[in-house]
Amino acid sequence: MFFVAPAMIVLAAILGFPIVDSILLALQRVQLTGGAVSQSWVGLENFQRLFADPVFWKAAINTAYFSVMEVILVTLISLGVALLLNHPMGKSGFFRILLIIPWAIAPVANAVLWKWILHANYGVLNGILKSLGIIDNYQVWLGSPFSALNFLLIVDVWKSVPFVALLMLAGLQRVPQSLYRAAYMDGAGPLQSFLHVTLPTMRGVLAIAVVLQTIWSLRVFDLVFVLTRGGPADATALLNFLAYRVTFNFLDLGYGSAIANVIFAVTFILAGLYVWLLWPRQTGASR
Amino acid sequence: MSFARLQHGGPVRQTVVLAGLAVFVVWSAGPVLWLVLSSLLQQKALIQQPPDLSPANFTLTNFTTVVGAAAALGRGIFNSLVVALFSTAVALALGAPAAYALARLPVPRANGIAFLILATQMLPGIAIAIPLFILISKLGLIDNVLSLGVVYLSFNLPIVIWILRGFFTSIPVGLEKAAAVDGVGIFATFWYIVLPISIPPLTAAAVFAFVEAWNEFFFALILTRQHAQTVPLVIAQFAGQYQTVFGQMMAAAVISVTPVIILAILFRNQIIRGFADGMMKG
Amino acid sequence: MFNSLSRRNFLQAGAAVGAATAMPGFLTREAHAEAVALNVFAPLPPDPAPPGAAKFSEEAFEKWKAANAATVEYETLAWPQLHDRMATAFASGSSPWDITYNCGWVPEFQSFLTPYADKLPKALVDDLPASSFSTVTVDGKRYGTIFTLSLLTLFYNKEHLELAGFKAPPKTWDEFKTYGKELTRDGRHGLVLNYGDPAGIGGTASYWMVFLQQAGGKMYGEDGLPIFKGEEGVAALQMMVDMMPSTDPGSISYASINDATNVLLSGRASMMMNWPFMWNAGNDPNQSQVVGKLASAVLPAGPAGSASIDGTDAWTITKSSKNPEKAQQLIEFYLDADVQKRQVLDTGWLPIRLSVLADPEVQAKAPNAAVVLEQAKHPYDSFVTADYNQVTVAVGTEVQKALQGQKTAAQAIADAHDAVTAIVKRRG
Repeated sequence: MFFVAPAMIVLAAILGFPIVDSILLALQRVQLTGGAVSQSWVGLENFQRLFADPVFWKAAINTAYFSVMEVILVTLISLGVALLLNHPMGKSGFFRILLIIPWAIAPVANAVLWKWILHANYGVLNGILKSLGIIDNYQVWLGSPFSALNFLLIVDVWKSVPFVALLMLAGLQRVPQSLYRAAYMDGAGPLQSFLHVTLPTMRGVLAIAVVLQTIWSLRVFDLVFVLTRGGPADATALLNFLAYRVTFNFLDLGYGSAIANVIFAVTFILAGLYVWLLWPRQTGASR
Repeated sequence: MSFARLQHGGPVRQTVVLAGLAVFVVWSAGPVLWLVLSSLLQQKALIQQPPDLSPANFTLTNFTTVVGAAAALGRGIFNSLVVALFSTAVALALGAPAAYALARLPVPRANGIAFLILATQMLPGIAIAIPLFILISKLGLIDNVLSLGVVYLSFNLPIVIWILRGFFTSIPVGLEKAAAVDGVGIFATFWYIVLPISIPPLTAAAVFAFVEAWNEFFFALILTRQHAQTVPLVIAQFAGQYQTVFGQMMAAAVISVTPVIILAILFRNQIIRGFADGMMKG
Repeated sequence: MFNSLSRRNFLQAGAAVGAATAMPGFLTREAHAEAVALNVFAPLPPDPAPPGAAKFSEEAFEKWKAANAATVEYETLAWPQLHDRMATAFASGSSPWDITYNCGWVPEFQSFLTPYADKLPKALVDDLPASSFSTVTVDGKRYGTIFTLSLLTLFYNKEHLELAGFKAPPKTWDEFKTYGKELTRDGRHGLVLNYGDPAGIGGTASYWMVFLQQAGGKMYGEDGLPIFKGEEGVAALQMMVDMMPSTDPGSISYASINDATNVLLSGRASMMMNWPFMWNAGNDPNQSQVVGKLASAVLPAGPAGSASIDGTDAWTITKSSKNPEKAQQLIEFYLDADVQKRQVLDTGWLPIRLSVLADPEVQAKAPNAAVVLEQAKHPYDSFVTADYNQVTVAVGTEVQKALQGQKTAAQAIADAHDAVTAIVKRRG
């Protein structure tokens, strides 16, 4: 128990009060008047307002789509990248450093970079696609709800792949050679050894990747703020951005907390589900 | 086919891998290349349709301007280094034992505790920002690099624990059973046997914690004022109300990603060695 | 929950204060009597920043500090993050600053500010445009002072207009539409604007408010409830919708004004509504392809004449300030005629003092100052209320839907009207 205690104490000390306070705020109505913050208990009123608010539901649906797609894309792409970098041809340190760079770029710079790349009038993506003849006219990538949401997705996937790929690479490296040899002895081809040796051993890593990516995809904020501000017409107002807007722009702290707590609840349920479904059963013995 | 062939694959597979690597390079490096190019171009070249890459437009003024305002960026990099190194070191120091305990030791309801630890991350930062601000300001620790490091610790710790726990659970128990038979205690087993073979996941966890601390923006905005500004805040300075001096922002971004790249290159041997072929050969 | 925390702290603080006063403090009292420490929260240059933070009037500033025995510490932050940090500080109950910058947030933060501007010297107040106080006045009290004249005016590319056969900028809505259509050719568009962000001053809703006033409408009635559902509101939105074929299609995705200004400065748009400060950028050879080709004019008149909105960059004093009188003197220094003159000559931010605006040296350096002064003769209400952010998000989103053709102008205005009514009623 000593092993675990220090970590738990640190977490409780720093996050305990804020988390509890946030849950309590969701049950209050907070207003900034008279030079102070006035709070009054309103029970579940914030949540009732939430569930009747079309803006909330729109954000919820968009967030659901965004999150599911991001988890799928990031997991698949990261697995692919990890396999590539695990192959003898991909083992050079150059690739590993290249992997980390997108992730190491500061978030504001990253978001502004992509805003300029995707710009409808002078963006370099338009420039390249047009000179390659792939498109005739410059496209407004962030102009239509469907397109804006999907480009937001692509940019976030780009930023999220490095970490998950790194994780999977570490997982791949830990698959013992002896298992591959054994499979080879049994006459397994490359695909079979992948399916029957690699994937099962990576199950723990895959589970972590899915769980973490789910949690993070529900918290996307920087990109929405810089690239679209939730537009056009709230098409990219994801739940976390909505919580920010309500809390910091409208100063409606109670309502904003309610939205954030809904995100909390959804994340909790989803993560719990994934862990229950995907987590490797045995704690230890693998051979 | 030989075992080596199974590993390397025939010509078809090798071509696929090569193509895959090429796509990976373009995908990863493309936008980064644009970042570097933009930092070397004048603004008016960047707003051309398509952006004007003729040699006349290349300039170092973005860098000289940014370096000229060196005080802010230098202090930002220093602060970020302190915060990131501190929170990474402590996260590993506290997290590795915790992860091991939750993976191996007979901790009651280990799964529940582990999930609870993860659950602390599920509430969006937006919600805890103001209460956390109130807490930290009552302690008088606003605008303090170490207090920011401690806050980041609370974000890194759960993830580090989960990453390491996942790896620890997949270590075959044979090693530890052998050690137990020899009468080695838990801590010694952990320190001398488990940790050394866990370099890859430890490295992954360390890299994660460092980069996350390096990149964190929102809490740095809320919890600092003038003295403890970190790199993301300094970079955000280049986007004002009416103007975003894109070239300068990219120059600042290039300068600030450099320490991370340097660390990655310095530790590449650890990273590569740690990622060397499995821990059990043959 | 945090109330109990503060009670404990208060007791601890009380004990500390008690112990401190028991010490022989009278010896140090004289030394401390003079020096006053002021803390100012301001944006970073190139956004409007005070002397010392921006590079102008630095000598005068040093002299002021010496003469007033004051030290001034600046806390500066990138403009887009200002509101977040202020909101956090105020939401936690207080703020560490004496003076803060404010931009349309005065009604929102009114309970944390002091109405010092009622006490400004008459000579200063007379030199300021009377309507500049409208966005910083709440319940009849003045909580701030605007320090730069920043109104939207029409920026246009002279060369493009000449090529299309126009000798003068458009003066009416009809001309605006005609010009827009004619100027949309050769890969350029007649108009570019940033419709991407619905909120705030300079967002989509605020642009609609410009047209609303030009149509003769207003946002709110006497009781604070919205009254824009009528003809004027719809006509204003319809004008924007009618201009869409002449407007750069990327406009709906331009989330900040910078994205749109760059299109104008690259020569691929002919007209834009923009702020006086952008005049400098337009003539900067590093940033602009249209140096020397830009001109500015009063915005085209709608049925009720021309109108604009106020950028409302103001200085305010916080209620928690320990030295409000000294803070007021510092603000008066910022508004000093010489300092204001250096402000425009060195940083490009127009002065607010009428006497300085009329100065020939200023007019020579900032030719658009005359246009802005002319624009100031027409209404320029920004309709700032405590709910400004929420209202502009609601209205701006509806405007965006109409601009994209998802709704008719009438439907969008009606929906916006209902949303704003709900917002106002909820505040109670």
